[in-house]
Amino acid sequence: MKQIIINNFVIRTMCFVIIINHSGFFVDCAEANVGTDVTIVGVARNKNRGKGSMWWGIAKAGEPNNISPTQPGVLFMDASVHGTLRRKQRRLAKENTGLLEAVARGANLAINECQYQFRNQRWNCSTKNFSKGKNLFGKIVEKGCPETAFVYAITSAAVTHSVARACSEGSIETCYCEKHYRRPQVFSNANTGAVANVRDFEWGGCSDNIGFGVDVSREFVDTGERGKSLREKMNLHNNEAGRWHVQAQMRQECKCHGMSGSCTMKTCWMRLANFRVIGDLLKDRYDGATRVTAHSSAALKNNKAHSNRLPKNPKLAAIMTNSIHTKRENKRKHKYAFQLKTYNSEHKPPGMKDLVFYELSPGFCDKDPKLGIQGTYGRQCNDTSDGVDNCAIMCCGRGYKTQEVVVMERCNCIFHWCCEVKCDVCKIKKKIHTCV
Amino acid sequence: MQQSFVYFSILLCIFEIFKFKMPGTILENLSGRKLSVLVTVLLLSQLACFLVGLISPSPAGIQTILATVCVDPEPEVRDKWFSRNCPKKVDLRYDNALEGISPNNLVFVVEMPNFQQDFSRWQQNLAGVLQIELVYRSGQKLLNPMIELTLDARLAYSNKVKNGGKTPWTHYTNAITERYMDCIFNDTAIENKEGYPYDCSMVPLFELGSLYHDYYLLNLRLPYDSQKELNTHLLKVEEIFLHMIHMNGGFTKVWISLKSIFFPIIVTIMIWFWNRVHLLSRTPALLEYMLIVLGGTLAFLDLPIEYLTLHFDMPYMLLLSDIRQGIFYATLLSFWLVFTGEHMLIQETGERNSLRKYWKHLSSIAVGCVSLLIFDLCERGMHLVNPFSSIWVTPLGTNLALTFVICAGLCAGIYFLFLCYMIWRVFKNISIKRSVLPSMTQARRLHYEGTMYRFTFLMGATVVCAGITIVSFILNQYTQGEHNLDDSMDIELTSIIHTGVYGMWNVYICALLMLYAPSHKQWPSEPTCSEGEEVEFSRLSSEPSTTPNEISSLTSFVAKANIE
Repeated sequence: MKQIIINNFVIRTMCFVIIINHSGFFVDCAEANVGTDVTIVGVARNKNRGKGSMWWGIAKAGEPNNISPTQPGVLFMDASVHGTLRRKQRRLAKENTGLLEAVARGANLAINECQYQFRNQRWNCSTKNFSKGKNLFGKIVEKGCPETAFVYAITSAAVTHSVARACSEGSIETCYCEKHYRRPQVFSNANTGAVANVRDFEWGGCSDNIGFGVDVSREFVDTGERGKSLREKMNLHNNEAGRWHVQAQMRQECKCHGMSGSCTMKTCWMRLANFRVIGDLLKDRYDGATRVTAHSSAALKNNKAHSNRLPKNPKLAAIMTNSIHTKRENKRKHKYAFQLKTYNSEHKPPGMKDLVFYELSPGFCDKDPKLGIQGTYGRQCNDTSDGVDNCAIMCCGRGYKTQEVVVMERCNCIFHWCCEVKCDVCKIKKKIHTCV
Repeated sequence: MQQSFVYFSILLCIFEIFKFKMPGTILENLSGRKLSVLVTVLLLSQLACFLVGLISPSPAGIQTILATVCVDPEPEVRDKWFSRNCPKKVDLRYDNALEGISPNNLVFVVEMPNFQQDFSRWQQNLAGVLQIELVYRSGQKLLNPMIELTLDARLAYSNKVKNGGKTPWTHYTNAITERYMDCIFNDTAIENKEGYPYDCSMVPLFELGSLYHDYYLLNLRLPYDSQKELNTHLLKVEEIFLHMIHMNGGFTKVWISLKSIFFPIIVTIMIWFWNRVHLLSRTPALLEYMLIVLGGTLAFLDLPIEYLTLHFDMPYMLLLSDIRQGIFYATLLSFWLVFTGEHMLIQETGERNSLRKYWKHLSSIAVGCVSLLIFDLCERGMHLVNPFSSIWVTPLGTNLALTFVICAGLCAGIYFLFLCYMIWRVFKNISIKRSVLPSMTQARRLHYEGTMYRFTFLMGATVVCAGITIVSFILNQYTQGEHNLDDSMDIELTSIIHTGVYGMWNVYICALLMLYAPSHKQWPSEPTCSEGEEVEFSRLSSEPSTTPNEISSLTSFVAKANIE
């Protein structure tokens, strides 16, 4: 199988006027796409690595051009999407109308956020315009390195976030509304499921959407990761870490509506955080990711480090009518009950919010067709920064060229609360440093 | 709750047995064993109230709905409704979709409830809170953390049709209101702030006192007008969520069941009590009047008029329930004052006690309640006219509301201090008299000790009830603050607290009415009285014939002690 990698570093440049190189002056012409790189990579199927992440492909099926809320169910019919999904995922999508659209939106959210968070890094989370799932982020995900950890965590978090949002949008109708009570028999009428659902809403209202988001994310995202290999444990751990951050960033808001509006009666709900905040936190976790190693199988069974994880909602089985879930319920409890051992035994074991990896990152400096890395050729850098976008770091010591360009930018914009109304076009002189 | 009926009938039997003649109240003449039986029965019915809370869901439910953003090509034409499947929708997160669209073209549409459900009238009322998500865009500066919002909100309703489907949306109410939203930008350290969210406060939008219809539809606009400065300081809006809060049908059912059980019980006890009073040859005393009024207000509170909301549109239910609770609390507070006062005042004059004597004490309650009532009328009363109105939005209204609330709070403080002072005096009187007790004959001493014990017992009960109420509401605040994501807990502490505390005050007042009803039992004969005491006692016991207001022998005891 062959594939094309197109890497775009677009500089919004109207025209280059003068380009200043280290060596002297010369004139160059405008270039819209800096560093367009086309490589052809042969793909070797590796069954064990990242097999649970085929679904990433639907990010490209629900292209962001299609931004107006799509009709639920349309995506499900898409044959190209169908191919990337596992059987269980297809079943989930069938049972929950609108779920696939939410997952697709989540995948795009994850890509955007990943690219935002890594815009200044050597690895910039570039994606390929190729819909075969797991290679969306390039072959780097076949290595168990911190970048892979981040990709898994952010996609899992984005699905959780996106599903919860879709629930409040009303585009997934199976988000649960039966809350945590078993209604007394007196009040329940043994009618059809739909009617019972309505009566449940009357009796006890609806539960938070985030619970559904987390449960669906566990079912959908973690579906392939059921082996015992370190890689699968790593994926599971990082997926959980992503979801954990979405849940932990929920903020409680309350309203008092008791007598005269006093707080004798108070109702609280959880507010979903903006995904940018979650992306920031996961990036922090990436920076401090824990290296783990395969450990003796004896330690695998009995470990309590994950026992304080957010408990599994037992109601998932109830909303998804398939009985397989209830059978799996016991299995699932064990699925997340493992403890990873740190590479350096003096470090403390990774908590559930930490990202874990077991292989060191490749350098990302040079082209590596095996891993689908383009290297940092032609990347923009910052000569004054202290961070990783510093030219010395970014260009891996290869040096860089500096161009002074005049950029036409929109400025002095007048905004209304929704839309940009009027902008001037300003010419701004900018120094652009590019890695050679 | 059937148990309550059984207990109640047992109680009535107990009282029928002891229905023979006697001055003083039942409390003093009930033997210790019978008192303990009665207390056990009351405690059991109290326990039943807590247990009822177990089957109930939490009092209120919440649904968060993301507003669909529809494009209205003709914003001037107003008599139309946008529902979720409007012809043109946009996503405000993507700028390129917004080209050529002005803010006045955008309508935020919220269909309530979500997920193809419909409201039930058991859900009683509905409140809506807006969450407006603002993000930073370069070039947009937050001038003032208090953003003034102008909201053009319109509400429509629709009902289910029998053969499926809905009736067309019908106008319910509309208003252009102002709100203030507090926004903070947390990430000052980040270089590129583009796309980072502002942290904005919630905006209460509306409150409906009745949930009569099956479906509601909110069409919200944020009109922009640079001349009138409407929404000019509003930053980039990405999403608007509406959190709608409704009562839970299950809780309403449990609540009404409780009321339907307590109402006949309290009415029966009141009738029995009043009969008891009228069997006496004297006119009812002040405390008896207070008790019957207290019973009456409780009966009014227990009256399950919520049943009517299932058939009639009663938007004033919120206001009415506030008023019912207010009247009950005011009477209960007044009763405590009068009760304490009646057990302390020295009745040398033989004058009839009347409420007039307590005007100073009661005025704090009156002022507090009136200011709360005015506040409530301004807030919930105004909702009858305009569900979108709020007293808190204008600076004048805020000051006014704060004045009323602070005034009520001050009155409560004054009342509480005064009550504590009076209770302290009563207990001081009692302890003084206790030192005199050894000089009395054994029979009388035992009797006085008994009555004193029982009086303190009931005072204790009051303190315990008040304490439990306060503690449980603090606990309630705490548990609600700790929102657990763990759904495995099946019991709902909030509703247990609500039913339990509600039941407790019902049981408390039932107990008061029963124990403080005049007793018909005769004094035990006291042949071994010494002469001096006999003189004193005859002087004392001659008084009730002239001053029939003394309903309690303790009162007479304290009065006698004061004469000494």
